[in-house]
Amino acid sequence: MRAFGPMELLEDVHQKNLCVGCGACVDLCPYFRIHKGKTAMLFPCDLSQGRCYAYCPKAEVDLDALAEQSWGKAYEGDAVGRYLSVFKAQAGKAAPGGQFQAGGTVSSLIAFSLDQGIIDAAALTDREDLVPIARLVTQSQEVATCASSKYTAAPTLAALNRAVQEGYTKIGVVGTPCQVTAVAQMRANPLDQEDFFDPVALVVGLFCTWALETRGLTALLSKRLEVRKIRKMDIPPPPADILVIETEDGSIEISLAEIRPLIPHGCTVCPDMTAEWADISVGILEGDAQWNTLIVRTERGADLVEKARKSGWLVTDAMPQKNLEHLQFAAKNKKKRALTAALEADLVNSIERSCLRINTRAMERIMAGEKE
Amino acid sequence: MSELWQAEKGSRLLLMGNDAIARGAMEAGVSVAAGYPGTPSSEIIENLARAAQDRNIYVEWSVNEKVALEVAAAASFAGLRSMAVMKQVGMNVAADFLLHLTQYGTRGGLVLVSCEDPGALSSTNEGESRFYTKMMEFPLLEPGDFQEAKDMAKWAFQLSEEIRNLVMLRSVTRLSHSSGNVVMGDLPQVKARARFRHQGGLLDTMGGPIINLPGTVHFLRQKQQEKLRKAAQIFDTSPFNTYTGPERPELLVITSSTCTLYSKEAVHLLGVQDRVGILKLGTTWPLPKGLIEEYLAMTDKVLIVEEVLPFMEDNVLALATTLVPRIGAKTFFGKHDGSIPTMHELNPDIVVAALCRILNVTCGTVPEAYVRRATEIAPAGAPARALTFCPGCPHRASFWSIHNALELDNRKGFVCGDIGCYSLAAGPSGFETLRTLHSMGSGTGLASGFGRQVQFGLDQPIFAVCGDSTFYHAVMPALVNAIHNKADITLIVLDNSGTAMTGFQAHPGLKVNAIGEDVPAVDIPEICAAMGAKVKICDPFDLDETRKTLLDMIEEEGVKVVVLRQICALSPEKKGAKAYKMAVNETVCLGENCGCNRLCTRIFKCPGLIWDEKKKVAMIDEVICAGCGVCASICPSGAIERKEAA
Repeated sequence: MRAFGPMELLEDVHQKNLCVGCGACVDLCPYFRIHKGKTAMLFPCDLSQGRCYAYCPKAEVDLDALAEQSWGKAYEGDAVGRYLSVFKAQAGKAAPGGQFQAGGTVSSLIAFSLDQGIIDAAALTDREDLVPIARLVTQSQEVATCASSKYTAAPTLAALNRAVQEGYTKIGVVGTPCQVTAVAQMRANPLDQEDFFDPVALVVGLFCTWALETRGLTALLSKRLEVRKIRKMDIPPPPADILVIETEDGSIEISLAEIRPLIPHGCTVCPDMTAEWADISVGILEGDAQWNTLIVRTERGADLVEKARKSGWLVTDAMPQKNLEHLQFAAKNKKKRALTAALEADLVNSIERSCLRINTRAMERIMAGEKE
Repeated sequence: MSELWQAEKGSRLLLMGNDAIARGAMEAGVSVAAGYPGTPSSEIIENLARAAQDRNIYVEWSVNEKVALEVAAAASFAGLRSMAVMKQVGMNVAADFLLHLTQYGTRGGLVLVSCEDPGALSSTNEGESRFYTKMMEFPLLEPGDFQEAKDMAKWAFQLSEEIRNLVMLRSVTRLSHSSGNVVMGDLPQVKARARFRHQGGLLDTMGGPIINLPGTVHFLRQKQQEKLRKAAQIFDTSPFNTYTGPERPELLVITSSTCTLYSKEAVHLLGVQDRVGILKLGTTWPLPKGLIEEYLAMTDKVLIVEEVLPFMEDNVLALATTLVPRIGAKTFFGKHDGSIPTMHELNPDIVVAALCRILNVTCGTVPEAYVRRATEIAPAGAPARALTFCPGCPHRASFWSIHNALELDNRKGFVCGDIGCYSLAAGPSGFETLRTLHSMGSGTGLASGFGRQVQFGLDQPIFAVCGDSTFYHAVMPALVNAIHNKADITLIVLDNSGTAMTGFQAHPGLKVNAIGEDVPAVDIPEICAAMGAKVKICDPFDLDETRKTLLDMIEEEGVKVVVLRQICALSPEKKGAKAYKMAVNETVCLGENCGCNRLCTRIFKCPGLIWDEKKKVAMIDEVICAGCGVCASICPSGAIERKEAA
């Protein structure tokens, strides 16, 4: 992993319009700030190396290095990354109720982790109208306020940065694949700091195909409804091809064709659909709105799932094979799409500085669409 | 030193040109003086304001130059002697009224003083207002030294009453702001009585209504041109036009204003007094034709030395063409052949170079030993200093928040700038925030225009800034325009409670006027709210609140006004008092290990904050720190501490 400075970050990410506003660089220093879902550099900073660059999921992401760090092996381009097990899951009876997306698995696991002291704080995503807000939560009761999908690119990791500064040592993060990639890079001590300490105790990844740009979505939806009245948003699985918005006055459907122009350019070169560097990854379960798909990737992820299940916070069941195949198919497609776009834009394996680094074998495998 | 308005006749004082002009006006018995502050003109009104009570003069800082000229003209119409004072850019503001004023003419002596700024030392342009005198047909006087500044100022009133029209007295920075000996004249006992006579006929210029109408234009123009011809006759014998040099000079230098001094010095330096004659003109429009013919006839070569544009040169060339049958063709040097530059200030070196070329002489070079010694004494010259806001300046804090709000907003929003100390925000001390900068009030006018370009796809947030004095001067009409025409803009009024840049002259927002009277303050937020703008008032020293307010305002539609109110750090009202005692806690400042990359001294850059090169931490320069406390809010580590000053 190679780290450069903020001016290179500006050049490599902001000027190439790759920033997705994940919050990884936000509030580390006085220079990078977030406003209405977009990251801004307030003043030039000429440091030759910065955490801003090192953490950024759109700058010098070395998939081999991440695979080595997380899985102890080279990156192979598997559709959904390495995992120990896959279940379908939902919140158990012991979990406090709330407005979840699908099965409420994430809210339940985070609340449980806080409750059990597995984590001492959680970096989550709230929203004010449609503006995503990074929120640091320390009480399990607060988790519910951040439940349900936002669909707008969110600066969640600003809350993680804040948690580190405030001295939390067992932090949980719930993030999209880009955010989970940034967290993995943070945990690698990229600037070789002598007093480095990994403060992240749990990473819950969310499945993600793309996000939406806040200001554009607000402008679009403001024409149809009162943004303040939005209760919940959902994108049902294909072939629905719509965004469903539930408001106090009823629900509204918007065709995805209308919102696709609001996808940040950075999302189009993201090869990860299932947050491969997380401890566990969670998404919808196609065809059953009451359940989530739960991918368990690490030992500590497995431990948590086991404990939550035993305590009645989580219910799991076998993942139907057809669903897993579907998921792998979709994830593989995203990989190929993203890599094609990234290659066209000369963002892969550039000699000097590169958005993405990937070994030839994995790349060939992805591009060939090889069956697993 | 006795006060300017008390010095006795015959006494000799060291006076700035502007002091001398004020004294001249007092010697002429001026009753009313009005102006708008602007370097290098401001000291004239300030001097008259100090003398106001003793000399029974009404002096005001008007809202702008046009109104100043109108106030002075009203005095003239009522038979009083009056003066309007401004800098060159203000002439353009006054020009519309000036055109009508000079067409009709005046009654009591009316002198318009324009102090101009060749080289734009304190201006955003180097303007040239001499051309107004030709375009609008009234006389122009240009003093060549300090004594003349006083004497010509006094005489200008007399001339104005002789021809019954306005007379312009033009000074330049080097005359207005440098000092020389001036022998005082008599201060008369003035018993001025104002009465506006308007019951006469329409063509009774001394007793009728003072009205410019299409039907009277022809009559008025004839009279105006007669007045100008009369002035030319008077100028032919004016003692302010002088010649020094041989009877038949090889080269005749025609010059005026401070260029007289440069020309004299150049001739002296080259020791060519027997070859070069200097015709110095104090009356530069209309030209004293007889006098010029007389001196042109004495020579074959002429060099015209004046600053900025070839005003006198073109007029002399035009005149010389008509004289050819009588005195023959002459060879002219000046701006047109490149002997004299058409911009910047002149100096003796430039005139020396021109003379050397024309006379084919070389000037003695500076002795090598002198150069060596000079280099030893001042090896690096003066230390380089960046243009910056003063320590504790509210503008630094304001622009910090404005800059950050626009960067955060992330839509390439921009600020239309205006004229004041805050014009510096075009540079690093204001974080390069201003993106347009023109004349007073034009920031808001431009913003109003940008604010209607949404239909053409302009989606950038638009800010305009102006100072409090500028707000009254020229922003109000632009703001009305923006509101009425539904422009989508935010005007930020940087209210530092005075016309700070030119020295805290009074303006309509204050409760005291130029001569110390209690006057009603006209409230900017109330005006804006009454116009229909959404108005918020913030303390720019509260960075979070200011940024938040600006970001909220960006999202609102229509015209928004944010008044950032904080008194100027140099304001006499503050009396140098510090609100806070500032200190850097060296155990908290992480120095170069802080991710802030020296935000305080590299970006915020208040001169009161310095970088300790040895300890590698920030420190406060207590001598110049103004104690505003803002830097404590900048430091991400909280290392800059502020304590309430005792």
